[in-house]
Amino acid sequence: MTYAVNEACIRCKHTDCVEVCPVDCFYEGENMLVIHPDECIDCGVCEPECPEEAILADTEPDAEKWVELNRKYADIWPNITERKDPPPDVAEWSGKPDKMDYISSEPAAL
Amino acid sequence: MNLMDTKPVTAADYASDQEVRWCPGCGDYAILKVVKNVLAEIARPRDEVVFVSGIGCAARFPYYLSTYGFHTIHGRAAAVATGVKLANPGLDVWVIGGDGDFMSIGGNHTLHALRRNVDLNMLLFNNAIYGLTKGQSSPTSPIGTRSPTTPNGSVEQPVNALAFALGAGAKFVARGADTLQTHLPTVLKRAHENKGASFVEILQNCIVYADGAFGAINDRSESHNATIRLEHGQPMIFGKEEDKGLVWNEKAQEFRAVALADTPEQQLAVHDETNIQRAFALARLEQPDFPVALGVLYASDAPEYAHARGFTAKRKPFDREALKSLL
Repeated sequence: MTYAVNEACIRCKHTDCVEVCPVDCFYEGENMLVIHPDECIDCGVCEPECPEEAILADTEPDAEKWVELNRKYADIWPNITERKDPPPDVAEWSGKPDKMDYISSEPAAL
Repeated sequence: MNLMDTKPVTAADYASDQEVRWCPGCGDYAILKVVKNVLAEIARPRDEVVFVSGIGCAARFPYYLSTYGFHTIHGRAAAVATGVKLANPGLDVWVIGGDGDFMSIGGNHTLHALRRNVDLNMLLFNNAIYGLTKGQSSPTSPIGTRSPTTPNGSVEQPVNALAFALGAGAKFVARGADTLQTHLPTVLKRAHENKGASFVEILQNCIVYADGAFGAINDRSESHNATIRLEHGQPMIFGKEEDKGLVWNEKAQEFRAVALADTPEQQLAVHDETNIQRAFALARLEQPDFPVALGVLYASDAPEYAHARGFTAKRKPFDREALKSLL
């Protein structure tokens, strides 16, 4: 009963989702955002906001691995509550498949 | 699914198999999440818990829980729930309704359930608008609310739900907000522990027709400046920096908001949840001059209805075997 962010977010942090979340449950890594599965209220408002279509419900097939990845990093990355500009090279990475090789486990620079 | 097979222990056990259908971003999702967590903590078997609702967005609530439920008619949830509780006092009965259900068409039933002090947990989801019928002004809409029924802005004074409840004789009155996910469970647990009608107003954001109606109150980062979290026996301090407080003016019988820098702590009011005069004053504190009071405003140990009428002693306990023989 949560939403989760998948690899489509990697290097494409638009952060539109952050602005609409009523419970501020997004956490920010160096090049990706995640949702805290225990804090998400399952309201779904973020899902259509994402230009990369990187947010999925945990009822979708294959969602479990993303929920686990989200849980892992939500515990160690900082909370993000305000929208910020996407990375300058976002167009280059947008829509690219199989971006897991590029995920950074580092937290966002504060 | 046989409700009697297993004793549920997690919030997920209280979820039904129904797809939740509220608008994306609705505050009702936040309340549903908290209620499921609280139910898991209370850990009553699902077949001993009943959610009764009226009509409205909030009234969809029973579908999304794996407990028993009754989606009744508009405004009548409190009346039906009263019957459920008196017929089987062993059940844990919750009443769910919006500001239309509780304060408008069902205002009379709310009043009588409260004055009778029936052992119900009554949760008012107040979003200050009629959401299900697409955005007409409700009894709790602020003056100036523009809607299809009030095109020039509402001119009617909104109902203060908690002052109404206290006036009706409620013995337990509390307030929470949908997105305050660590505060709301503490309020609901207290409401559940109380034997009698527990009235909880939950300020709930309607993202479509009244977005932002409660301003900073349910904005997690700003909430501490817009609200005061009451705790029995504790001085009334609020603010993100815990730098403000409330002082009680005995002569005027009203609160005054002060900065702690100018006021010694011993002058601050100490919350006494058994004091009904102060509960009335707390219920009426409003933004922007005052913080909105959250938590338990008033709690008294008056006997609940069934006890007062001697019903509990006469009723047989729930006979699980007898029910099974019918299935």
